[in-house]
Parts: sequence; C-alpha cells; structure tokens
Amino acid sequence: MEEVVRRDVDSNRIASLLTELDPDANRPANVIETNGLNLHFGPKAILNGVNMTFARGTITALIGPTGSGKSTFLRTINRMNDRVSGFRHEGDVLLDGQSIWAPSQDLLAIRRRVGMLFQRPNPFPMSIKDNVVAGVKAHGIAKGKQLDVVAEIRLREVGLWDAVKDRLNESPYRLSGGQQQLLCLARALAVGPEVLLLDEPTSALDPLSTESVENLMRTLTPALTLIVVTHNLGQARRVSDNTMFFYEGRLVEHGPTSQVFEHARETDTARYVNGLMG
Amino acid sequence: MLTSNPATVDPIRRDTSSRRIGRFVRRHEEGVWRVSGRTASLLPVGALLFVVIVLAIKAWPAIKVNGFGFLTSTAWLPGNTYGGVEHVHGVMIPAGARYGAWPLIAGTLQTSAIAIIIALPISIGTAFALTERLPRWIAQPVGFFVEILAGIPSVLIGLWGVLVLGPFLAHDVYPIVANNVPNVPVLRYFAGSVGYGEGLLTSGLVLGLMIVPIIASTTRDLFLQVPPLPKEGAEALGMTDAEVARRVTIPWVRSGIIGATVLGLGRALGETIAVAMVSGSVLGAIAPNVYGTMTTIAATIVSQLDSAATDGTGFAVSTLAEAGLLLAVISIVVNLLARFIVGRSSRMSAPVGRS
Repeated sequence: MEEVVRRDVDSNRIASLLTELDPDANRPANVIETNGLNLHFGPKAILNGVNMTFARGTITALIGPTGSGKSTFLRTINRMNDRVSGFRHEGDVLLDGQSIWAPSQDLLAIRRRVGMLFQRPNPFPMSIKDNVVAGVKAHGIAKGKQLDVVAEIRLREVGLWDAVKDRLNESPYRLSGGQQQLLCLARALAVGPEVLLLDEPTSALDPLSTESVENLMRTLTPALTLIVVTHNLGQARRVSDNTMFFYEGRLVEHGPTSQVFEHARETDTARYVNGLMG
Repeated sequence: MLTSNPATVDPIRRDTSSRRIGRFVRRHEEGVWRVSGRTASLLPVGALLFVVIVLAIKAWPAIKVNGFGFLTSTAWLPGNTYGGVEHVHGVMIPAGARYGAWPLIAGTLQTSAIAIIIALPISIGTAFALTERLPRWIAQPVGFFVEILAGIPSVLIGLWGVLVLGPFLAHDVYPIVANNVPNVPVLRYFAGSVGYGEGLLTSGLVLGLMIVPIIASTTRDLFLQVPPLPKEGAEALGMTDAEVARRVTIPWVRSGIIGATVLGLGRALGETIAVAMVSGSVLGAIAPNVYGTMTTIAATIVSQLDSAATDGTGFAVSTLAEAGLLLAVISIVVNLLARFIVGRSSRMSAPVGRS
C-alpha cells in the first residue's frame, strides 16, 4: 500500500502546490528583524545594539536576569513602549521587512499582526464570550452571529471550550487563573496575529496550567511565530527552538536552544543557564 | 538617676480620673468599640428618620387637604390670607387656597435631567483627560481647579448665572438654536420664545456646571484605580484609545461612576438658591419650551417660605413641608433606583483589587 502511494505521488508537484497554498510563501523568511536596536528610557540606556532575526514559525525564548532588558525588548516589538515617557530608540525593528516605525505603518494594524500575552491574566470587564471577540469587534473582522463562531473556534483552540461553553455570558473573573490566561490567549489569537509576544505568560500560573499553556505554544507553531520572555529556564528548554540570553542591557548570546543551554560560548550565559547567576 | 525626690509622687502610681478611663477603655476595648461603632452607625439613619418624620408631621394637614391632587394639580393659590377661612377635612385654610405641586415636580426632574445629561459626558471626558491624556504638570493644577470648583458656594454660581451666563445665552446662543431646530419630537421644545435667560435650560446648565466637579473628581480617582494590565491588554489587541476607554476603563469602574452620578443627581435635585436665582421663579406653570421660566421644589420652598409665614392658618407652611417631603421621597427613590442599576451592571465588573 505504501509502495503504491509513493509511486503515484509526484513530489515536485506537491512541493509546488504547497508553495502556492502557503500564505507565507512570498514573505521574508524572518518575520521580525532588529538592526542595531538601542533602547533608552530618558538618560538610562536599557538595551544596546541588538541585531537579531526571528524565523517564521519558530519559538524564541528570551532569558536573562531581571533588569537585563528582555521585557523592554519584547514590548518594543509591538510598540507598547512608544508612549512610555522618555522612551527613545535607535536602529530599527522590521516586521515582514518593513520598519514598524515607518510613517506608512498603522499602529493598530501592527498590533493586530503582533499579539501579546501578559505576565498575569488580564481579562476585560465583560462576559467570557465578549472577551474572546473583543479584538475581533474592534477591528471589524466579524460581527453578529459570526462572533459566536469565532468565540467557539478560539475557545476550542485553547482547550477552554468544554469548561466554559455553558457560561459564555458570565464574568471571566470567576475562572481560575490558568483558565483566565487561556481566555486571554484565545482573545489574542482571535484577531489572527502572525507573531505572538509572551511576557512571562506562566509566571502566575500553577504547574498544570503552565503545562497546558506550554503545550499550546507548541501547537501554535508553525502558523505563528512566538517570542517568549521567561524566567523559567526549564520552560525555555522545553518549548523554544532558539534562545536569546540578555545580560545588563546587552544581547550576550543567541542560538539554538540546545546549544545555548549545553554549549554556551560565553561564560555569563553558561553561569546563568546553570543557575549560578540570578 | 539613682536618687529620687521623695516629695514627688511617682507619676506612674497616681490614679487620676483620666487614667481610670484609660484603664476602663483598655479593659473593655472590644465592648467600647462595638457600642460606639453601633451608635455612630445609627446616627445617620436616625437623622434621616427624624427629618422625614418631622416633615411628615408638619405636612400632615396639607396632605389631608391637598390629597392626591397635589401631585397632578398646577394651581398655586395662597388664598385670601387676610380674609375668611374655610374648613376642609377638619383643617382650617385661607379661603380659596389651592395648591398643586406638579409644575415643581416636573421642574425638579427636568432641570436635574438636563444637568445630568450635560454633566456626565463632560465629567467623564474631564476625568479621562486628567488621567490619560494631559501631561502631569497640566493635569495636577487642572484637577486642583476642578476640586476648587466643587467648593464654590452655590449662591455665587447663581449670581454668575443671572448676571453673566443667562444674558449671554439668551442673547447669543438660544436664538441661534431656537431658529434652527427642526420641528420633530423632543427638539420641538428647543424652538419658540427664548426669554431673557432665566428658565429651564439655564437652570439645567447651571446645575450641570455645579455637579461636574463632583462627578469628575470622583471619576478621576476611579480611573486612577484601574490597573494598567487590562488597559495594556486592550492596547496590545490594537484598540484605539477611545475603545480602550469605552470597553475596559469605564466598564471597570462603571458602578463607581453610577455612584458618583447619583451623588451629583442628589445635589441637582436638592440645589436651592442657584436655581431660585436663574429659574425665573414662576409658580403654577410648566415651562412651554426649554427656555421657559419655571421653578423647582427646593427653589419654591426657599422663595415662598417668607410669604407662607404670613398665612395665619399655617396651611401654606404645611404645604411647603409637604413639598419638602415630596423632594425627600424623590431623592430616596432616585437613590434606590441607582442602587438597583449598580447591582445589575456590576455583574461583569472585576472584584476589588483585581488586576
């Protein structure tokens, strides 16, 4: 049976078909690229000279001690820092090859393409269903009955549907912390982002919820590109393809996760991943 | 010091009365707290009951004579206070005295409604600007001025309303509005004679101005308590500032805003002197359009009390007490209604302290 299938299939034709069908086919291989990125808050330099590429469909972990600049870096990618007083940047961040600060870029569109999940669950003060479709409504992606469908699809995607299907119109604040975070993930996914930024997404969750979020992260690629800040080194090892190590405002080292954890080039990296430096 | 003067009594041993009280309080701390706490908590209830009961007693003769017609009649005739008397339901009243409070009730509700309609959006906008938009060095002094405005005596605002705002509106604003409104329901009331600046709309505007600081400063404090994380979540989802405000910030504190609005509404319903100055103080008639002269329950009580005292039968004063009772009932009903709304709308709001 296997033989038959193999003989009948023209692998070239499949490859060309797949290329045709792939929505990302004509886009740059790197969804995000930073060029000589320097970040400042007022006179204080936060991050210096970050050159980095994020390949489409991968998971990158950002690790480093508190105050190393990794969260600021993450929040720069969807321009959440723009309005922080004193924030300045030099260099550039490219999203699909275009500067995120280019005058032609629409900030709201960038945020639709680059979603975000926060350290703690942050449901909005509205029903569970309205939470999932809040962004969809704001961007006018769907309306009326379609919203119910969107809500169900996204809640199923994060594995929350069975738990909440009978209380879609109730307050989200009665859900457990883990469920709330999954709800926020469903909400972020609902607007169809290309990139998802995760800022210590499981730091407020219990181990079981953490595991379900981590499993989800795996299933979201390669459709999405994930960039996750984490203090949980085990998590970085478990879920990420690549790891970036930040220390004192510098990107010290980056590479495939196994290499960074097992064969670090820099002593600081080795000390941090081995738990010798907080 | 090793030596002590035997002439002075050891202050620690001396048993003064204040020490005895102190000891008693310490020994019975729980009980003292409980008793004083309960007494203090019952005081407001007692005060409210006392006011309502005294009003009811004073109003009783008027209630008997005026009957239910008091709520629907538009007459305001003190009768012949120097002539004969009549007896109605065993109450002595001046001959020909007839009272109806419908215009006062309507005026009270109309001016307060105008005040809220104007003040609520302005207040929320002000609070939003102060907390989210203006830089700190502007927001702080502006916020300070808003609070000062809350403390300006209403007689000054009334005076300004009569001398400045009313004439300005009647001369420069009302005619433009009145000449251009289409002849459709609701807006029809904005057409017609604009008068001299004393009347329903001017009263509503003055009241609105008076309650803006109350609602705005409370709402500002509420906005400051909204944790940043849900707002950031909404921003990160690609919502505009207006959407963040409408879908997250305002709903987060909705019950508090309703509470602040009720506070402002209570002020508007009961505001007396400023309305008495700018309403035109016309008794016995409902304003034909929004510019028409009128009066409210509170303004009537203050403007009529003097002449009511000349009624030897006491019936006019009793009627004013009945009007006051009516105002108290309206205020209480409005409060209860607001509580009901808060109860319904806080279903989705976050538990306190949640981020």
